[in-house]
Amino acid sequence: MLTMRDTHTAFDTCHPAVPATYFAGTILIAIFAMQPVCVGISLMGALAFSFAARGWRRTLEGLRWQLPMVALVAVANPLFSASGSTLVAQLGPMAIYQESIAYGACAGALLVAVVLWFEDAACVLSQDRLLQLGARALPTVTLVTSMAAQLVPQLMQRSQSVRAATLATTAAAPQGSRDRGVRVADQLMSWSMEDSIERSDAMRARGWGATDRRSCYLPDSFRTSDALALAGIGLLAVTSAFLVYVACSQWRFYPTMPRLVAWWGYVPYAAMALLPMVLDLGQRIRWGRVA
Amino acid sequence: MSALEFRDVSFTYPATDTEPNPAPVLAHASLAVPEGAFALLTGGTGSGKSTLLRLAKPEVAPTGTLSGHVLAFGEEVREFSPVESAQTVGLVFQSPDSQIVCDTVWHEMAFGLENLGTPVPEMRRRVAETCMFFGMEPWFRRQTASLSGGQRQMLALAATLAMRPRLLLLDEPTSMLDPVAEKDFLAMLFRANRELGVTVVVATHAPEPMRDVATCAFRLEQGRVRELSLDDAVAACAFRPEDVAPAGSKSAVSGEKPALSLRDAWFRYGRDTDWVLRGLDLAAPEGQVTALVGGNGSGKTTLLQLACGALAPQRGRLSRPHAASQAYLPQSPRAILSAQTVREELMLWSKGAGYGEAQVTDMMERLGLAAVAARNPLDLSGGQQQLVAFAKLLLTQPDLLILDEPTKGLDAAARTKLARLVQEMRQEGRSILLATHDLAFVSAVADSVSLLFDGAVTCTEGPDEFLAGSWLYHA
Repeated sequence: MLTMRDTHTAFDTCHPAVPATYFAGTILIAIFAMQPVCVGISLMGALAFSFAARGWRRTLEGLRWQLPMVALVAVANPLFSASGSTLVAQLGPMAIYQESIAYGACAGALLVAVVLWFEDAACVLSQDRLLQLGARALPTVTLVTSMAAQLVPQLMQRSQSVRAATLATTAAAPQGSRDRGVRVADQLMSWSMEDSIERSDAMRARGWGATDRRSCYLPDSFRTSDALALAGIGLLAVTSAFLVYVACSQWRFYPTMPRLVAWWGYVPYAAMALLPMVLDLGQRIRWGRVA
Repeated sequence: MSALEFRDVSFTYPATDTEPNPAPVLAHASLAVPEGAFALLTGGTGSGKSTLLRLAKPEVAPTGTLSGHVLAFGEEVREFSPVESAQTVGLVFQSPDSQIVCDTVWHEMAFGLENLGTPVPEMRRRVAETCMFFGMEPWFRRQTASLSGGQRQMLALAATLAMRPRLLLLDEPTSMLDPVAEKDFLAMLFRANRELGVTVVVATHAPEPMRDVATCAFRLEQGRVRELSLDDAVAACAFRPEDVAPAGSKSAVSGEKPALSLRDAWFRYGRDTDWVLRGLDLAAPEGQVTALVGGNGSGKTTLLQLACGALAPQRGRLSRPHAASQAYLPQSPRAILSAQTVREELMLWSKGAGYGEAQVTDMMERLGLAAVAARNPLDLSGGQQQLVAFAKLLLTQPDLLILDEPTKGLDAAARTKLARLVQEMRQEGRSILLATHDLAFVSAVADSVSLLFDGAVTCTEGPDEFLAGSWLYHA
């Protein structure tokens, strides 16, 4: 859990609606664009921003399980779906086709790209920014989420101290790991229940339920520049979505794959995918530290 | 006009199966706190201070039979509308952990104002001004879970003051804080009182640190309130180390194997985090009371968790000859309390540790818990919970007792009882390792004091010697 938003990166100075729209659009297109070039663009954009905003260490740590996953899907697909026309190998009764491997690799890469986009979004849209979006429409849901968010780290901390306390007194230490788990869970439960009574008192002491209509404190305000950014991103997303749709409709894996050609229509999607990385890089250049 | 007035107030909790005839908590109690005052409401643990404060705030008032009048600024508090009540009387609770509602500091600050439906521009202004007053700008956008206990308590105070109440009630607000955080908190409270003109009523069993800022004091005893001078109020609550009979000679048993030793111990919680302990050496002699003191975050709790085997050092040697017979009191007693009644709680470990009803009754008698034997331990005051947890550990008769802040939240009488029990254990030849901020307690029970700083033991001395040479610590 981040103690503070420590990454100054793309969309830092925007209202949270802007990055929320951007990532929603990008992720939606990425999910449906099952075409090698589109997948490539999306993966590249997601990776580039991940390196820029989340740092190379966390990105590489993620790739440690993501790359094997691509390989696994690429290998597994031909085993389950024997379609295609270019025979690569014959394993007993099973025929392995090149198209099938390509489909698997593409699907795996798409999956990884989407996972990366979600991680990128989480990095930009910290939870308090995300919550602001729903604050006006769903005040209670927002409040409950906010409460839960602060209780989770508290619970983790407490489970450590309960575990220490339960195990440390030898005359009472539970036998066996199951007994121990039950004891820790039981203890945590009664502690949290007791706390929740006190918390509800604290809430009522501060006027919870005093009026029917709660007002809503939003630290960020929505300005004209945000509206413009939003419109720009919307336009880019719609254009990309249409062109990606055209590209996908002309593409098929089975029985044979058509030749890929250079096409101007990929440019808007590439621009969209690389946008956050460019914004991040722009900030770095401005502050004179490209690292 | 009085900011807070109790006129002939009596209050009794409803009867339960276990307590068919409960004694009244307040019996014809009267008090008047003038406007602008900084009043102390003192009394022992469980004397009814919390009940009294809560009666002035109908939203959180306990259920029971109430007679008499509770007035705030001349008006009956029960006749306030919820919004009026929130804007007139603020209440800050004891625990920094359980009174924070939201995940971020800014949201917590705004929470009360949102509840009142305050218009956004007015809300922004109040939040801004309150943050400026408290100097909270650096952590305005932080997550509340990442704040220290002192900061969380300060936030609770600020969030209540953001609603601009004219009367502020605080229920043992500093009993969970270390002395430095306590001073910071009181300094802020004092400023709110003098600069903002908020009338303050603090319920406390340890009024000493507030002696210089308070303007009047009351004492609650046997359901009655009487006004007394500040000096008398402090004296009535003071813990006197000399009351604890010295346990014979304090000579060290030398040449023996220590009850616990750490040599060159290094510990950190994660690869990316700082070392908490850096080459720490500590030997707790057999049959003695070893005290650890040090600031918040100096690694006392970590060290104790290493000592009881819950954590292992990444480097260095740890020897625990009493690993098979030890007991550990965590900082929060709630981590080990789970039964329905105090008696059941104390009987919980009887099978494993081999004690019976008789020992439990005896222990409750000695710690003054007999009167609450049938109550749920979690319904008791913080200090009483601490005593129950301590009793539970003591009953297991451990050879090594490890205590983390054993006197936190305890009044003078309970501290005296605790000190006597620790002395007794020592006389039986058991070893005790304790971490505390309470130097008076240390001077009453400890054989040696070790000062923890920068992840290592800076010095180890006898308590008298330590206090005589200390610039910072006083008994």
